[in-house]
Amino acid sequence: MEEQQQQNVLAAAFPTPPPFWQSFTPENLSSISSLRAAEPQSSSSKVEPDPATELPIRLLDLPAELRCLQPPEPPVEGLYRCFGDLYNMNDPLPSLEEQGIEQLYTPPLTPTSNNGGKHTDRALILKRIAKSLLLNFLELVGIMSVNPEQYQEKIQDLRTLFINFHHLLNEYRPHQARESLIQMMQTQLERSRAETQGIREMKMKVEGILEGLSHAKLAEEKENEESGNEVVEDRRDVWEALEREFG
Amino acid sequence: MADILTQLQDAVDQLANQFVASIYYVHKHHDLQTLSKTDTVRQQQKNEGEDPGDRNVDPYPADVFKDGQKELAQDLILKEQQIEYLISILPGLENNEKDQEQTIQQLEEELKIAEEERKEAVKEKEAVLARLDTVLRSVKRP
Repeated sequence: MEEQQQQNVLAAAFPTPPPFWQSFTPENLSSISSLRAAEPQSSSSKVEPDPATELPIRLLDLPAELRCLQPPEPPVEGLYRCFGDLYNMNDPLPSLEEQGIEQLYTPPLTPTSNNGGKHTDRALILKRIAKSLLLNFLELVGIMSVNPEQYQEKIQDLRTLFINFHHLLNEYRPHQARESLIQMMQTQLERSRAETQGIREMKMKVEGILEGLSHAKLAEEKENEESGNEVVEDRRDVWEALEREFG
Repeated sequence: MADILTQLQDAVDQLANQFVASIYYVHKHHDLQTLSKTDTVRQQQKNEGEDPGDRNVDPYPADVFKDGQKELAQDLILKEQQIEYLISILPGLENNEKDQEQTIQQLEEELKIAEEERKEAVKEKEAVLARLDTVLRSVKRP
C-alpha cells in the first residue's frame, strides 16, 4: 500500500495536497471557532495588537484532530527555494556604499520608513538620473570623437549612474507591492458589489413575475366563475409573459 | 496591474543597450578620412579566408550613415521620454507606508461586508427561485 502511494506521487503531474487538508471539516472548523471565542483574551490584550500581523488566538491543549487547524507562526528567518534558487528570508537590499558605488543622490526617505515622506522627490531624482544618463552619453561620444583614449572616466560615470538608478528603483519595490495589493483589493470589492447588485436585480425581476402570476391567477379564478372558456386564453398570457421575461 | 517598476528597469537596460549599439554603429560604419594630401585611403584586400567583420571598418555612404545616426539618436530620445513617462506614472507616489496600511485595512473591512451582503443576496435569490419553482410546477400546460 505504501509503495503504491509512493508510485502515485511520483507519477502525478501535480503534488498531492498536504495530509492535513482532511482535518478541515465543517465540524472541526465550527468547534475550533467556538473554542477560540471561549478563550479569554488575556494573552493578547497586554500588548496593543497590531492588526496587520495579528493572528487568530493560539490555543494550547487542542484535541489532536484540531491541531492542524491552527496556523503555524510565520517563519522569521531561514532559506526558501524559488524556481530552483535558494533565497534568504531576510535579504536586505545592500546600500550603495556597501557595494562601493558612489551615491549620487541625497537619499530620500526610504519607502519602508514611517516618517510620512512622499515619493514625489524619488520620482524627481529618477528623472534627473535619466537625464544625466543621456547627457553623459553625449559627453562620452564627444570625448571619443576628440580623443578616443579617454573614454574610461565617462564610462565609469555612466556605470555609476546606471547602478544608482537601479538601486533607487529597487528600493521602491516594497512600496509598489503594497500599492498593487490595494488595487487588487479594490477590484475585488467592485466585483463583489456588482455581483450582489446583479443578484438583487434578478431577484426583483423574479418577484415581479411572481406578482404578475398571482394577479393572473386571481383574474383567472374570477373568470372561472364567470365562464370556463376564457381560462385557456388567460393561461396562454401567463406563458407568454414568462417567455418574454426569460427568453 | 502592470508592473511599472519592472518596465522601467527594462527601459533603462534598453537605454544602455542603445548606447552601446550607437557607439558600435559609429565605430563600425564611419567614413575614412585622409589627414594630409600624401595620404591615401588604403584599399582593404578582400581575402576570402579572413574574417572580414571584426576589426575592419565597413564604411557606409555618407547619406546612409547620416540617416542611421539620426535614427539612433531619435531612438535614444524616445527611450528617454518613455523612461520619464514611466517614472511619472509610478503607482502611489503620494502615499507613504502608513497610508497604505490604513487603506488596506479599510478595504479588508469593506470586502468582508460586501462578501456578507453577497452571501445574503444569494440566499434570498435561492428562496425566490424556490418559490418560482413551486409556482411553475403548479401551473398546468394549456
